[in-house]
Amino acid sequence: MKATLFNIIWVLKISWSVLIIFFSFNTVLAQEDDMMEDAKIELSFIEDADSKIIVATATNKNDEPIEDLELYFYVKRSFSNLPIGDFFNATDETGTIKVEFPNDLPGDPEGNVAILVKLMDSDLYNDMTLETIKKWGVPSPSPSQFHEKRSLWAAAANAPIPLILIISALIFSIWFIICYIIYILFKIRKIGMVT
Amino acid sequence: MSKQSEHQQEFRERREKDLLRHIIKTSLNYKLWIAFLILIILIGMYGYYRQLKYGLIVTAMRDYTSWGIYISNFVFFVAISLVGSLFSSILKLNKNEWSKPLTRISEIIAVSAIICAIVIIIVDMGRPDRFFYVIRYLRIQSPIIWDVIIISTYLVISLILLYSSLLPDLALCRDRLTAIPQWKKKLYRMLAINWRNHPNQLDMLQKVTKILAISVLPVAFAIHTVTSWLFATTWRPGWDSTNLGPYFVSGAFMAGAAAIIIAMYFIRKSLHLKAYITEAHFDKMGKLLVLLSLVYLYFNINEYLGPAFKMVGVEGEHIIELFVGKYAPMYWFVQLGGLVLPIVFLLFKGMRRSLPIFIISTFIILGAWFKRFLIVIPSLQHPYLPIQGVDESYLHYNPTWEEWAITLASFAWFLLIITILIKLFPIIPIQKHEHVSKRHPILNF
Amino acid sequence: MEDDKIHPDSRRRFLKKLSTGSILAATGLAFNSLSSCKDKSSEKSTLLTPDGKLVQVPNSEIEAMEHLYHGAPPDEAREGIPGKKFVMVVDLSKCKNARKCIQACDKHHNLTPERPYIKVLEMKDNEKSSPYWMPKKCFQCDNPPCVKVCPVGATFKRTDGIVLIDNERCIGCRFCMAACPYSARVFNWGNPPEGKLDIPYSPETSLPSKQGTVAKCDFCPEMLRQDKLPHCVTACPNGVIYFGNELEDSVTNGEETVRLSTLLKDKAGYRYMEELGTKPRVYYLPPVDRLFPFEKENSENSTS
Repeated sequence: MKATLFNIIWVLKISWSVLIIFFSFNTVLAQEDDMMEDAKIELSFIEDADSKIIVATATNKNDEPIEDLELYFYVKRSFSNLPIGDFFNATDETGTIKVEFPNDLPGDPEGNVAILVKLMDSDLYNDMTLETIKKWGVPSPSPSQFHEKRSLWAAAANAPIPLILIISALIFSIWFIICYIIYILFKIRKIGMVT
Repeated sequence: MSKQSEHQQEFRERREKDLLRHIIKTSLNYKLWIAFLILIILIGMYGYYRQLKYGLIVTAMRDYTSWGIYISNFVFFVAISLVGSLFSSILKLNKNEWSKPLTRISEIIAVSAIICAIVIIIVDMGRPDRFFYVIRYLRIQSPIIWDVIIISTYLVISLILLYSSLLPDLALCRDRLTAIPQWKKKLYRMLAINWRNHPNQLDMLQKVTKILAISVLPVAFAIHTVTSWLFATTWRPGWDSTNLGPYFVSGAFMAGAAAIIIAMYFIRKSLHLKAYITEAHFDKMGKLLVLLSLVYLYFNINEYLGPAFKMVGVEGEHIIELFVGKYAPMYWFVQLGGLVLPIVFLLFKGMRRSLPIFIISTFIILGAWFKRFLIVIPSLQHPYLPIQGVDESYLHYNPTWEEWAITLASFAWFLLIITILIKLFPIIPIQKHEHVSKRHPILNF
Repeated sequence: MEDDKIHPDSRRRFLKKLSTGSILAATGLAFNSLSSCKDKSSEKSTLLTPDGKLVQVPNSEIEAMEHLYHGAPPDEAREGIPGKKFVMVVDLSKCKNARKCIQACDKHHNLTPERPYIKVLEMKDNEKSSPYWMPKKCFQCDNPPCVKVCPVGATFKRTDGIVLIDNERCIGCRFCMAACPYSARVFNWGNPPEGKLDIPYSPETSLPSKQGTVAKCDFCPEMLRQDKLPHCVTACPNGVIYFGNELEDSVTNGEETVRLSTLLKDKAGYRYMEELGTKPRVYYLPPVDRLFPFEKENSENSTS
């Protein structure tokens, strides 16, 4: 009785996993069948006095504009990419989307920023990424400006000068007195030798 | 020869005999005492051996109570060491004649205490093998470096102070003591640096004494003020106070005076110097102690009234812990038994006799030690952020036997240095190189 | 000869660590793996980066990275990572005391549970307000009291804002522990619990730890050198901890990336005990509009 129950469970288990494999295989096939195509995205950058705008235009292989294509705009940062623009950015009927670049975003010391435009998770088009470097950022202070300044928390070599002067003066004066006393003691010794 | 000069001669001979006696004769008590001290030191050294082997884990210190009785003991010894300057500078510059026989005791205590302070701070280090990094990688911004500089300076100046006042007596030892071992003769000869009581030598030595009397005072104040800055430069409740410098210095003078009285009592008993350390000295010391205690009381009130009135956050919790909490018994013992009651008692003449004032001084010294405990440990146990998510042992601080053994050994070491210095040199200045009062040929006042 | 013996072993160990590290990074960085050298989506881009077509990693490169993983040696570790100022933002409204940050930190710093670098404290500002969890690391202050008091310069402030400790110089005086108002520092009272770790010492990993010296949260600079987030950030299941470069005005919790200035402005970011003037590099967002109720035990920390 027990053995048959076990058998039934085993059969169920195996058939279940076979089913899973089959279906997943099927979906892979289905995707391949779909003939994902490459979209073509062209970027242009419009810059005037008070605004910087990224314009992306998406076309398919027949050079027809793609409508309602979701694009993602990022600025490259150290650990991740910072999204810019609206929460969702989709192309209009001319296949165009405009995204404003924030005016106060820091770039590298020269003001360069790497702007990424990504096409992701589309049902029809392959993922792609465009990267462009623009001088649109606010220049960040160059690493040479980060030299340690004289302070109480700096390394020994960068101690505040008034502190060094005061402590040296105090040490010098007291040790001068000590040395002078030792000198007198030597003189006392000399006098004793003569007599 | 006139009768008076004969009289003087007789007195001088008796004085020399009395004051040099203990150097020649070694009593059984002395040997037992030394053996006892060495035993305590050996136990402490075993404790320290364990600490070196296993690390500071053998202590009860943990991440919150990161400083324990080592540091409070260090502060205590620094405090005691200030007493040298009290006698050699403050009382001398005020032309007090009575304090002169006590000057050497105070200087010996100062030297011994400062050596112990240095030893105990090395004991507290997690990496004593890197002690010389303090010089190699010295960072002048750190209050610890200021403390290292000032403590080494004070050690040198205390040694010179002791030595320069000892110089004529060293020559006396060299000339008078004949029945002593060869190494002792050599020691006196070497240390006496050809002292012949030559008038030029006397002049020069007087000059040295004067310079030292003036210059030791700021250094002594600095040593304890800088030590207080180890605490005052942080944000801990009870430490974050502008009052801490004078509070520490005044407490140090009180503790130092009490230490002198205890030393006087034992020296007088064991070396039979009743004629040289008199009841009158105890009386004067008693009055001085009242004055110093009153100054300390004043700074105590300053230290606690403000925070207790405001009761700000953790500062208030800290005050409550001291006044009515876990540390209340110790706190009130220290403040009443070690400060207020001694002041009251010492106002009575009968209490300024040798035995009662010795007992009172013992209470003051005990109070002074536990006061440093109360300054260091409860403050660390009241950080701004709550103590959570750590091992149970991190919440309390009950010193382990290793810590107590090392601390007791530091006391034994302190007493051993004093005992050996007393054994080697006259404890009461015999020869005077300074202006001598004619009033009393023996007592000098 | 001996080198030959050591190398394969250490390389294997490194690869093991690298793989766990990259899994963490992959889950953490989710969709923006572009900066990683194993990126496949870069095939179709007009990328000009030299590491775009990466197929095989030469051994020499692995060894160079191995060096980075262990963190720089003490002298190099005193130099900050150029052009960076690291900053952390902790969103108190999202913390439910899952304690995953503590576990990740303990694991990577070889710490025992009773003595962690990170603590999640139960806080209550006043009697009437409700309690909240406050993850607390080292605040990496810009006016660091601990660095000020160090007599030998064993603890130091780098140009990238991180405060580190050189355990080969620390004399164990513990003044820094007394000086830190946030109790961020711990001490190696006894022998390190992990026994002997056979790797060269680096202040950037605080490994191997040394008896009689001070240690603390270090912001994981060996990860930052690889442009990876600190372990606590990637381990947090609730995205509580944001981390980034202040000079780029951007912080990320591994899932979302936001502008630091906007985040602090919108959510009224503050620094703990601003009045002390220590200028911490860790900001907190107030525990308002909480995602979770305050519970001492929950599904995420009960297993720990």
